[in-house]
Amino acid sequence: MIGAMHGFAALGQGIGLRPPFYEAAAAGEPSVGWWEVITENFMVEGGNPRRVLRAARAHRPIVLHGVSLSLGSTDPLDARYLERLAALAAEIEPAWISDHLCWSSFGGQSAHDLWPLPFTEEALGHVATRVARVQERLGRRILVENVSSYLSYRHSTMSEPEFLTALAERADCGLLFDVNNVFVSAHNHGFDPVAFIDAIPRARVGQFHLAGHSVQPTHLLDTHDHPVSEGVWELYRHAVARFGDLATLLERDDHIPPLEKLCAESRRAAEIARQVSGGPGGGGDRGA
Amino acid sequence: MKLAEVQALFYELVTARESVAATLAARGPEARRAVEEMVAGDARLPASARMEIYADMYFARIRDVLADEYPKTAGALGPAAFHHLVTDYLDVCRPSHPSLREVGARLPGFVAAHAATAERPWLAELARLERARFELFDGPDAEPLTVEALRARPPERFAALPLRLVPSHELIATRFDVVSLWRADDPAAAAPDPNPTTLIVWRRNSDVFHRAVDVEEGDWLRSLEGGDVTFGELCAGLAAGRTDEAAAARAFVLCGRWANDGLLRISR
Repeated sequence: MIGAMHGFAALGQGIGLRPPFYEAAAAGEPSVGWWEVITENFMVEGGNPRRVLRAARAHRPIVLHGVSLSLGSTDPLDARYLERLAALAAEIEPAWISDHLCWSSFGGQSAHDLWPLPFTEEALGHVATRVARVQERLGRRILVENVSSYLSYRHSTMSEPEFLTALAERADCGLLFDVNNVFVSAHNHGFDPVAFIDAIPRARVGQFHLAGHSVQPTHLLDTHDHPVSEGVWELYRHAVARFGDLATLLERDDHIPPLEKLCAESRRAAEIARQVSGGPGGGGDRGA
Repeated sequence: MKLAEVQALFYELVTARESVAATLAARGPEARRAVEEMVAGDARLPASARMEIYADMYFARIRDVLADEYPKTAGALGPAAFHHLVTDYLDVCRPSHPSLREVGARLPGFVAAHAATAERPWLAELARLERARFELFDGPDAEPLTVEALRARPPERFAALPLRLVPSHELIATRFDVVSLWRADDPAAAAPDPNPTTLIVWRRNSDVFHRAVDVEEGDWLRSLEGGDVTFGELCAGLAAGRTDEAAAARAFVLCGRWANDGLLRISR
């Protein structure tokens, strides 16, 4: 059984650990409060990635952020993957573990993408059962992230916030709230991102993601290859006001700038959190 | 619509060889109707266009990962031919591992039987070298046997010294001079000569290296792969056609090179 409910520490601002930052992380770069890593990149036998991860962990908290748990797939849960994740977590002792509300495998094949689910009772029961199984194996609550999406299903019977809320309650998991994903999806589907935030229960959100996107003629694409847009910063301000000064992670996966540029963006997040929540370490109202 | 039905239709269309639009056009109005009944579309983005975004991302992500992993192979082919190669590869070798690093694991074998090798018979060997370098980068760690440790060993204990290779290594037999090809600034313009040889690829700390070895060294490296060989056995094996002194000298040269490269590990 999973232990008593515990929170997710307000770690401040972190940055996604990508190869250009490996040496800085291993050396204990002082301007980054914590690092989030793509879990699958470190599920290897040895070599540079594991050396860097161990060294970075010696200096800062690490969060394991997966992309291949495929919580919504109708394929069986990948038991081998889960065992390797548990082993990595036992070694690294991450602050927490997260993955996405999506499916990314089918018929034993991996898509390496984050595909959207229909928001139906059937999908909810399916995902909730799998999240509970994952948490049971890992012995800890995980965070499940809302993904950006480019389509919705006609037979969905609930909204995305309703689905996320019900999932968090049913599986007793936390939520990783990706502000950019809500911004992108709101544009692509024509919903109000502020109303989305207001519909998510305060007590279930444990972390924020911030990232950039690219503007296409017909839609926004969640590319993580630009600075955070002004619209996303505004939405982040509202998210902090609702959920509090939570751990905030800046993601960048392409056109990666020097670390000091990302740190400058990260400081902007810290400044917004300070302004909105009333001071460093201000936790905001975490009541339900 | 059941979740399994949604995922079956979505997966089939998004991972198809052709675009979603072309696939639907080939299958007729019923296929288009099935998508429109599943996915909400609008004037800005009809249902099939929304599916197309996912299809484009699926292919582009994997193509880009493969281009990063096989920069020389991609460079030798050029963007258009590499795009076709990846299209063909995904038809046969769908990704099945949760990590993106495994997406390209079967590419060298696939290239060996692909039409692209008709004009470039060396292409699969180049791909195999690139894959070996990629895999060894995060292969198992081992404590290397250093030159200093070799020098510090008392002479009377040298004969019994076990010679073992670090686990993160690979021996590759090639028919062409792919080392020169790998170094070429413009692999598309290179045409390596037939030159059967053996390559040793290995990782030392955070760097991966490769070099060609002569027949004798290649044979001994294979022997070391097969199990423990002592320095005394190496000397004895090298004595054919040499004096004992020349065999010992050659053994010291090989051992020194292997230790200097970081190819030998400490045997406990």
